[in-house]
This record gives sequence, structure tokens and C-alpha cells, in this order.
Amino acid sequence: MSEYKLQGTITAPRRRGRRGVSPALRGERSVVRGIGVALLWLVVVISIAALVWMVAQAFRDTRSILDDPWGVPTSLDFGNFVRAWTVGDFAVATWNSLLTTVVSSVLTVAIAAPCAYYLSRVDNRLTRGLSLYFILGLGIPAQVILIPLFVMLNKVYLTDSIIGLNLVYIGVSMPFTVFLLTAFFRSLPLEMEEAAALDGTTAFGTFWRITLPLAKGGILTAFILQVISHWNETLLALTLLQSTEKYTLPVALISFVQQQTYSGADWGGLFAGLVIVVLPMLIIYVWLGRRLTEGLTLGMGK
Amino acid sequence: MTLHLTEPRTGGAPAQSPESLKPAPRKSRRGSRPGGSSIDVQRKKLLIPFVGPAFVLYTVLFIVPALGAVWISLHKWAGSGPMKFVGLDNYGRIFRDQLFLSSFGNTLLLLFVVGTAIFVLAFALTLVLRDMAGKKIARNVIFFPHLINALVFGVLAGFIFNPGGIVNSLLAPLGVTDPPKWLAQDNIFPLIMVTLVCTTTGYFTTILMAGVDRIPPYYYEDCALAGASAFQRLRYVILPLTWDVFGTCAVLWTISSVKIFEIVWVFGGSSGAGVPPTQSWTAAVYTYVNAFSGQSTPAYGAATASAVLSLALISVLVVLLRRAMRRDAVEF
Repeated sequence: MSEYKLQGTITAPRRRGRRGVSPALRGERSVVRGIGVALLWLVVVISIAALVWMVAQAFRDTRSILDDPWGVPTSLDFGNFVRAWTVGDFAVATWNSLLTTVVSSVLTVAIAAPCAYYLSRVDNRLTRGLSLYFILGLGIPAQVILIPLFVMLNKVYLTDSIIGLNLVYIGVSMPFTVFLLTAFFRSLPLEMEEAAALDGTTAFGTFWRITLPLAKGGILTAFILQVISHWNETLLALTLLQSTEKYTLPVALISFVQQQTYSGADWGGLFAGLVIVVLPMLIIYVWLGRRLTEGLTLGMGK
Repeated sequence: MTLHLTEPRTGGAPAQSPESLKPAPRKSRRGSRPGGSSIDVQRKKLLIPFVGPAFVLYTVLFIVPALGAVWISLHKWAGSGPMKFVGLDNYGRIFRDQLFLSSFGNTLLLLFVVGTAIFVLAFALTLVLRDMAGKKIARNVIFFPHLINALVFGVLAGFIFNPGGIVNSLLAPLGVTDPPKWLAQDNIFPLIMVTLVCTTTGYFTTILMAGVDRIPPYYYEDCALAGASAFQRLRYVILPLTWDVFGTCAVLWTISSVKIFEIVWVFGGSSGAGVPPTQSWTAAVYTYVNAFSGQSTPAYGAATASAVLSLALISVLVVLLRRAMRRDAVEF
């Protein structure tokens, strides 16, 4: 119910497309196509195998990985994880990443949603200008704001601080989230809001009690997309954080890689580190994958 | 769940007293105009509490730094101490800097060469996937790399292309006794390009597929009835109807390719000093190294000048793309 309109527009044509293939089309098969299909499945199998392989290597020690990279772990040995956890400072980094990701994503959506609602419901020259102003940010690459941001935050003692990083993530995520949610709010039916307004609900009340519950799906999508981008963000974190106990996971991973040029490669620990970075994304994807791809294509494809 | 967490921050003020909030003068004038229903009038009063926080955060943390970058790029500055105004000198300087030219060239290579490869492959994949059995599974799998930090691919490449690594051990039975030095400084960038093609194609395939899926099947049936060849169908049905999605993808790739940094930074394991070999630098790496590597005096001016040029590149290309891709939207 909550997102029936969106779902309707997205899934309906696809379903028709699959069922309605006419016999005339079904018969068509060519050699090139056959090769294409085979190659595609090969890619799919290799991708899955690579992921499984990476997780498997994380349970083996460095020497056996190097001796036989195709081997499977003989026992469930968490030694690599323990080492990455302690020596590589991944424990603190995981906690920092988790904290930063959740806090900044929640706040991003909480701040962007009302703004997107306003921009989608009020149509005048001011809101059109504001929408354009927000879209502008989509085209600015992070390296442009890197140095001024560092200088600014340094002045107010927010470099090397998780709070500062959170603030930066929220600000940087505004354009995309506002853009996505504006598109989403526009796709919602207006009738219920109007009915509520006729019944005497305030403007804020219609947003809070009618639109937000209706938009739960879109808001969750926006939230997940932020979680993914903040979990993986590297350049800003690398610049703004200096002390080990503030590192987020990507920064910890980089410093772990760089330590190895001096101490010899600890591939077991490294694989464990990679798994810690990748696994949460895999879980989210398996859990909410459909919503995710739909959210991305809604924001982009239109 | 999110909703409950978020509410107290967004709505606190308006929830208590939406009526008592005195709107900006401009708003009230609009509001009193005849024709708007009372809910519209009320809604407009929410401008400050609803748009305000997002506007302030975005302006302070994004737009101001972006303008600041332009300002800094006109100065000679080492991060601390006095800023010296030098006009466009930094731009002249980086254009005479061989290192910048090669970094910027690499960014252009990523943008155009890798971009072309990705688009050709993604479109081919889309056509194959369109009516393939099990397309959902295949599509979901090839999309996943988009969610993984590019660092991971960089580190894995170090393992796979090691002198004693997987690639060489696979090549050995094929009679390749003297494999190329994959991770030699000159070979790293081509490898990065290949890696990027492999890891990014799936994402664009997913987006293109959303466009192709919107095409109603009766167009294909019509093609079949009219005896159109596969190429004709592609040329006269699929391409025109997905043209706008192509445009969006091109803009997306332009923006995301210019900020590629992580994968270059760790590709193949770092080379000792913590900075990748200069042959593989991109414009983003150039900016970072010049400002923060700690290897030499930070040159904030030159570093931001390089970043501002990247921004200029994006702006020009996006405008050009919009011009080039602008056609009458086909309604269907």
C-alpha cells in the first residue's frame, strides 16, 4: 500500500514484458546471441566465485594462501580476523565506520526529506531555483571541496573528529538525497493529502501523518543508498582523519596495506580486512537488493 | 524505523507551533494571492523549517568550500602562513607541470576510453539480458561490484597480479614462461583501466536495462511482423527509446570518473612511500598528493587549481552532453 503507485509504474511494464513475449519473438536465436549468453553466465559465475574465494582465503594463513591460492580453508580459523582486529586496528575502525555511517545516514535523510517534500509540493520560482541549486552539487567532485573543507574544519577544530566527518557526509549527501526524494514524493498520489487537508489537518500534519508513512519505501531506499556511500567513502575520510583511533574502515585498510610494505605482506590479515569491508554491503544487498536497484534507477533513469 | 529516529530533529519546531511561525515576507505575499487553497498557503509557511536545515548544511559544507576552492586556486599558499594572491599563475604553473599533464591525461583516458568500453559492453549486455532466462539473477550479480569500495579491487589486484600470483600461475601451463611484469610502474594504469571496466559495467547495465524494460513488447512484435532484422530493431526501436537513459548514464560516468581516487591509491599494494607511482596518477590523486602527502611543502594553490580544472571539465562535458543528447523525447 505504502508505495503502490511507484511499484505499479516500475514493475507493471516489466511483468507484461516477460509474459507477453509473442511466439514470433521467442523463436529468434542466433549464434552471436548464444555466445553472448554464455559469456554473461561466465561473468556471473566468476563474480560469485571471486567473492566466495575471497571469503575462503580470509580463513587461511598467509603461507598456505601463497603456496596454493586455490585451496580451501581446512578449518574455521578466525586468526586472521583476530589479527586484523587487533594489529590492524580494525576493531576501532569498524566501530567508527558503523557509527559514522548510521548517524550521518539517518541525519541526512531526516534533513533532506522535509526539504524534498517542500520542493515537490510547492511550485514557484523560488523552489525551482532551489531545486536547481541542489542539483548543482551532484556535479561537483569531492576533490574540489577537499582542501577548503579541511581548512574550514581545521579552524573550528573539527578535523580528526568523527563529528566533523559526520557533518561533512551530511552536507555532501544533500544534493543526491534531496534529488532522489523530490522525485519520489512527486510520484506519490496527492489525493490523500488533500483529503486530510479538507478534514482540517495542518500542513505539517499532512506531511507527518500522511506523506511520510506513504513514503516509507522511498525513504528507506534513500537511507540505504546513503549507508552504502558513507560506508565506502574514502577520500574525505582519508583527508580529514589523522589519528589511528579515529580511522574509518577504508582508511584503516589503506594504512594496513601501507604497513605491509615494511613488515612483509600479511595476506591472511588483508583478506580478513577486505571481508570486513565487503560483507556488510553483501548483507544489505541480499536483504534489500530489489529496493536498491529500483531506487537507483528511479533517481537516475528519469 | 528510520522515521522514528529522524522525527525529533526535523519536525520539532513546526510541530509545536506551525501557526505561530511567522513566514518570510515574500512567502506571505505569495500566500495571500487568490487561487491557492488553504493547505497550499499553510504549506508555503514551512519553507524555513523544512528547507532551511538542508539549505544551510549544503551551502556551508558544499557550496562554500567549492567557491573557496576557486578562491584558493588564485593564491600561492602552503596551508598555513600568509596567502599570496597570484591570479591565474597556478593554472599556468600546473599546465607546465609534466606531472599534472600526465595525471590529467589519465583522467581523460578513464573518462573516454574506459567510458566507451563500459558503454559498448553495458549495451551489449543489456541486449543479451533483455529476454534471457534468469535475467534477474544475472543482473543482480553483475550489479553488486558497484556496492564494493574500489579499494578492495585495488588490493585484490595486488594479489592476483603478483609475480608469483594467480595470473602467472594460470599462464604457466599455457607455456608463458616469461609473463609481463604486471605491476611494473608503466603497466599499472592500463590494469586499473581494465579493472574499472570489469567492475563498473554491471552498474550501467542495470540502469540501461531499466530503460530497455520500459519499452512495451508490442514494438518488438511489430518489428517481427514487419520482418525487421535484429540490427534494424536495435537502430529504429531500442536506441531511440532508450536515448534519454543513455544521456543520463553518460552524465553519471562523466561525474564519477573524474573523482576516481581510491583504486589508484592502493592498486597492487602501495609502492613503499605510500604514494602510487606517478604514471598511474589521476587528477584527483594529483590534488591529494600536492596538498596532503606530507612529502613536500603543500601547494594548496596548485592542488585546488587542478581540482577546479576537473570541475570545469565536468561542467563543459555535461553541458555538451545535454546539447548532444537533446532530442525530442519519444513518448511511449
